[in-house]
Amino acid sequence: MTAQAFQPEPGSTLPLANWAGGLYAIWLREVKRAIRDRGQLIGGVVRPLLYVLIMGIGLNPYFRGEIYGEVRFVVPYTYVQFLFPAVITLNIMYTSVQSAVSVIWDREFGFLREVLVSPMPRAAILLGKILGGTTVALFHGALVLALARFADLSMTLADLAWGLCLMFLIAFALTSLGVVIANRIRSFEGFGVFSNVVILPLYFLSSSIFPLDPSLTSAQTRVIYPEWLVTLIELNPLTYAIDALRGAFIHFNQFDPRLGPVVLVAMAAVFFLIALRDFRRV
Amino acid sequence: MHPNEPAVIAAPGPAVEIDHISKRYGRTLALDDVSFDVARGDVFALLGPNGAGKTTLLHILCTILRPDTGTARIGGVDVMTNPLGARKSLGVVFQEPSLDDRLTVAENLEFHGLVYGVPRAVRRARITQMLALVELEKWRDALVRTLSSGMKRRLEIARALVHDSRILFLDEPTAGLDAQSRERMWQYLRNARGERELTVIVTTHYIEEVENCDRVCVIDGGRILADDAPAALKTRHGHELLRVVPRDETTAAEIMSAYADIATRHGEEIVLRVAGDAFTETFLTRYGTRIRRLSVEEPSLESVFLSLTGRALRDQAAGARERTYEFGKRGGEHTR
Repeated sequence: MTAQAFQPEPGSTLPLANWAGGLYAIWLREVKRAIRDRGQLIGGVVRPLLYVLIMGIGLNPYFRGEIYGEVRFVVPYTYVQFLFPAVITLNIMYTSVQSAVSVIWDREFGFLREVLVSPMPRAAILLGKILGGTTVALFHGALVLALARFADLSMTLADLAWGLCLMFLIAFALTSLGVVIANRIRSFEGFGVFSNVVILPLYFLSSSIFPLDPSLTSAQTRVIYPEWLVTLIELNPLTYAIDALRGAFIHFNQFDPRLGPVVLVAMAAVFFLIALRDFRRV
Repeated sequence: MHPNEPAVIAAPGPAVEIDHISKRYGRTLALDDVSFDVARGDVFALLGPNGAGKTTLLHILCTILRPDTGTARIGGVDVMTNPLGARKSLGVVFQEPSLDDRLTVAENLEFHGLVYGVPRAVRRARITQMLALVELEKWRDALVRTLSSGMKRRLEIARALVHDSRILFLDEPTAGLDAQSRERMWQYLRNARGERELTVIVTTHYIEEVENCDRVCVIDGGRILADDAPAALKTRHGHELLRVVPRDETTAAEIMSAYADIATRHGEEIVLRVAGDAFTETFLTRYGTRIRRLSVEEPSLESVFLSLTGRALRDQAAGARERTYEFGKRGGEHTR
């Protein structure tokens, strides 16, 4: 009956078109799984509501450029505006790391083997997986944009497009980072560990919820804030990612505006390459 | 040979060639200089207790594990130098289920087809056809997590046949299934072999299942102890038994003294270990008229295994991996 033979040449490698089909399949699987995971979606909706509507609006009146009633500098943004790009990043980060962690489940529950014995090259498998996670994370990041009205944000279409590009890079870099970490984990205690050991420290040390005083020089900043805190923030690549996003959405940068995109591209490339190196050894 | 052997076997050369393969894990020698060939179209069984090296060998053949020394070829393609090429003709059913249970039955098959680069039209046709083969058409759109373990196993067999696989590896496909599901599993495999030229390599520790295989390779402690057709194995390593009840006590005594080294007596019955083809004939010409009852007991593979390894096949306690798996099933981690 089934002599619909497409007879592969023994030993020949897959043509590029088929390779792309497999990439699409892996990407689609990630997206489908995310859509069916209600818990993840609820997290993606509730988190920005808490941060923007409660924390952002709540702290908004206390955020002024004055000390003891004396205005020291004019802050060109409100606290909600300042916080908004960081909440986008936080939402992306949770989702990215969560989909990366599913690598561990794929490994433990055998699905990874199904892909590893297929004729797909390892690089394509990894790329599909990371692009899938990136897509879902980008979507969760975009969910936050629905709250832009509450943050009093006005942006042009060009701002939005540039912002989405940056968000894609952030999602890609963080998903790759998640995979790198997941590959190094042998015993798995659940996602809570990731949340507390990776996501929140990176987030709070990225000048996300408080600015480093823009009127001060680097040396003066170290006098006002503890030196270790400033150093950690300056070392954290996520600081520059969020800074780039602020540039796009509220036209404000704490650092050189060119630095953000450069750091982001570097992060994405380096983490992906490390993930690939690890994955080739599986 | 097997009765429903495909009539034409065109391509030359064996389906699988294994040449002096060794693999060491730390201080344990998992495989010790293993060599054998599997002919095209055969059903080949790797029989051995847990930890014998069956799964290690299978993982090397499906290119996810590299041997320390030796070479292996799948349909003439070297698994070490061209793993991607070798994988295209492979269909694999692993010991632990490797389905995505958040996807539906059809989505799992579609995923597989895409990853193996099966063209769209062929993919559609094959999915329908393979679901029919394993009688899962009704569950086409059911989430895999709602299937029973027997149905999952069937789905995995269907999946391994969605692409143009010529060699099917099954690692303990019937483990953990009830007798009825096990029987059906073999029926599906027979159906699949009617549908295309297929070489089946199966590991098992259920001895009764290998009776119908074309070749059986007995493996223990990483070494191959025997590799032959089941009948030949029985002839060489098993023993045919003759159970005789003589008419009178004189005959009994006579038989006992004539075959002192191979006869044992249980009450009025005498059990003789048959040695050689002509044995029964000679025995019957001498004592045929003086015997009340006689039965011939065919040698079993169980006795073959026992005489080769010195022990019976048995199950062992769950390993670390099984425990993690059980934890995951209970845990309900929401990333899963």
